[in-house]
Amino acid sequence: MFELAPATETDRYFDYCLEPYRPRRPWKGKLRSENLLFHSLTVGGAQDALTEPLRAIQGHVGRDLTVWGIKWDGAALFWELYFYDPQKEAPEATLSSITKAMAPYFTITPAIDEATPYVMASFDVRAENRGGSVDTVNLYLTGEEAHAGRSYSVSRGRSELENTYRFMPPKTEIDEVLSLLEASVFVDYKDPRTLSRVLIPELFACKKICVSKKRDRDAIYFSGIDVDQLLFFFERFSYPDELVGFVREQKESFEHLYFDVGVDYRRGPDGALEYPKTSYYGTL
Amino acid sequence: MQTYKGRFEPTRFEDLTVTVDFRCHSACRFCIVQEGMNYFKGIPFELFQRAVDDNAKNRRYRRVTFTGGEITLEEKLFDYVAYARESGGFEEIRLQTNGRLLADSAYARSLVDAGVTEFFVSLHGHDAETQDYISQRSGSFDEAMAGMRNVVDLGACLMTNTVLITLNQDVLSKIVETVAPLAPSRMEFWNYLPMEDPGDERGLLAPMAELAPALRGALDGCAKHEIEVLVKYMPRCLLGDHGETLDNAQPDVVIVEEFYDIYPKFACLYEAKCEYAESCLGLTHAYIKKFGWDKELLVAYPRTTPWQEQEDGLIFGSDQPGFGTVGTPSSDSSREGAHQEWAALVEGVAEATGAVLTDLVLQRRSCTYRFEHGASRVDIVLEARDEDGPALVRTPSFNVHYRNAEGDQELLRQIVAGAVKSVEARDPGGMMLDLRKGPVGPDSVRRRPKRRLPVKTGD
Repeated sequence: MFELAPATETDRYFDYCLEPYRPRRPWKGKLRSENLLFHSLTVGGAQDALTEPLRAIQGHVGRDLTVWGIKWDGAALFWELYFYDPQKEAPEATLSSITKAMAPYFTITPAIDEATPYVMASFDVRAENRGGSVDTVNLYLTGEEAHAGRSYSVSRGRSELENTYRFMPPKTEIDEVLSLLEASVFVDYKDPRTLSRVLIPELFACKKICVSKKRDRDAIYFSGIDVDQLLFFFERFSYPDELVGFVREQKESFEHLYFDVGVDYRRGPDGALEYPKTSYYGTL
Repeated sequence: MQTYKGRFEPTRFEDLTVTVDFRCHSACRFCIVQEGMNYFKGIPFELFQRAVDDNAKNRRYRRVTFTGGEITLEEKLFDYVAYARESGGFEEIRLQTNGRLLADSAYARSLVDAGVTEFFVSLHGHDAETQDYISQRSGSFDEAMAGMRNVVDLGACLMTNTVLITLNQDVLSKIVETVAPLAPSRMEFWNYLPMEDPGDERGLLAPMAELAPALRGALDGCAKHEIEVLVKYMPRCLLGDHGETLDNAQPDVVIVEEFYDIYPKFACLYEAKCEYAESCLGLTHAYIKKFGWDKELLVAYPRTTPWQEQEDGLIFGSDQPGFGTVGTPSSDSSREGAHQEWAALVEGVAEATGAVLTDLVLQRRSCTYRFEHGASRVDIVLEARDEDGPALVRTPSFNVHYRNAEGDQELLRQIVAGAVKSVEARDPGGMMLDLRKGPVGPDSVRRRPKRRLPVKTGD
């Protein structure tokens, strides 16, 4: 197991875009969101492989400044780490710097030209990466509109557009949210119930929605949800019982935090909506 | 960010509702406490007494409503009514009933003689076939009609309540015509809340495209007969010319707290765009899952004021005279004392920080003070002291924290610090937020009967 990390007075609170927020409740006696990450490693069988590199990243980039994502495809958990440096003012958050910091644990093989105007970089990690390599990284660039962006996957010698995305407040910009959601080649919205399976009412009460268009699917992200909504999300998408149980047991210890969750979706072979991957986010 | 659309906190301080017990001789198909029937316990008389005694002193409520289960089955009902009447704290004493036992005119008279002034009778069909099917008890329609006639003959106030479900959506206008000759003081129409069947397993949720026109027809009928109307849990934009009949405010209900665990949540796509976002709840999540968001059907009335998201629940219904940019203050000066002891806890804080205390709202589980200073605002929240609960500080009676903090950080810090200090200094201990809080834990429910195992028979 791992030792639970308590919230401290020096903690900073960021969403998955590394935008700061004020905690929902007083933090005293509560837990840091990184506990969700380290607990998930125990559930996903990656504790031995990934605890050290994750601690190393935390030490290298600084507490609270790395965003983690926990992905669930219905069968296995895996992880993604995100590094933000939109102003190019944090040398420790560049991918080149992270690559060096991770060298004792795994090799990040794509060589990135740091002159590329990326505002964020990320890569997936799984237990099997330990001692081996990470061969794909993702670079995120500013999009054509405000609060929008594009991501590219970069492997050795190859870069591809991976997805486009846009952030919106769900209620005040509902027309834009609906318009973007419904502009899809993967889902048709003729059946009015389809929209409610994407724009999930239990998660609609959030701070920010992100609509993303990916290569073979669409995705929606709900940002700024509370721990009750996170638990709903876990149950809705059948996360492992052990993982759900931990959050349920520690619910009060996480009530000062906001969380972010994502849902990939597309029309399945039988015409029904399918969710190939979901994810939730916090900071390390 | 959960808004009131996500977490509906009933609050209206004119009415206190007491659940005496959970037994019923009907079995309505839409019952929202079907699983709680014969399981939840009623409110202990001592708890009821405490709320009544408090009301006699503070005059929070004008009315007490007794409900169940079926309240008229309760022998101890007369004790409750007598205590409420003798307290002198209530202007009206109401029964929420299926009306069946009121068919016994002597019994109906005994209730009126005991002090019951209002009868809120459930009627879900226009004829015996419909009503008896819904209640799953033959004769229930005839009994309710006879009961209502007795109420009218006794000169008491009669109101009806109809729950809107698939089983009666086509006969709503006929229900109005059935009731109209009795000249009820009011007819209420409550859209079905799927509390025990969040997937609408009972098939009772009516699609708005069908329900709304039927309801508007019934409301037209009420208008024709000059019957006052109240509608709950419907989108206001679907009520046509009857939009003002929507009233989602709730009484304070003393009930097993477990009841609220299954209270439905609501949402509307157009919340931020609609003038009535603060009073209309929109659609239940269960409805949205079943029928969709009704995005073509619902219409936002253009807002005349900026919309603002409320963290963790909308504050509305403050009845404190002198407070409130939100809610309608009571005009009854006799009730001005209702919140005085609560206001005293933060007296001087606004003046010391240059802020304004714009609202004070007592709810079942909290007391909220809203301070505003220009564009900055913060709510100071008192909840019953709980060593395990969240708290900025704990005072003898409360866990104190803040929420909805927006604006100048230093200013907010001063207000919060001032309020905390003030509450700490003035809380005498023993202040009760939850006089209406119902029982919790194992004592609040009856033991479920154990399933009988098949008896083994020997050869």
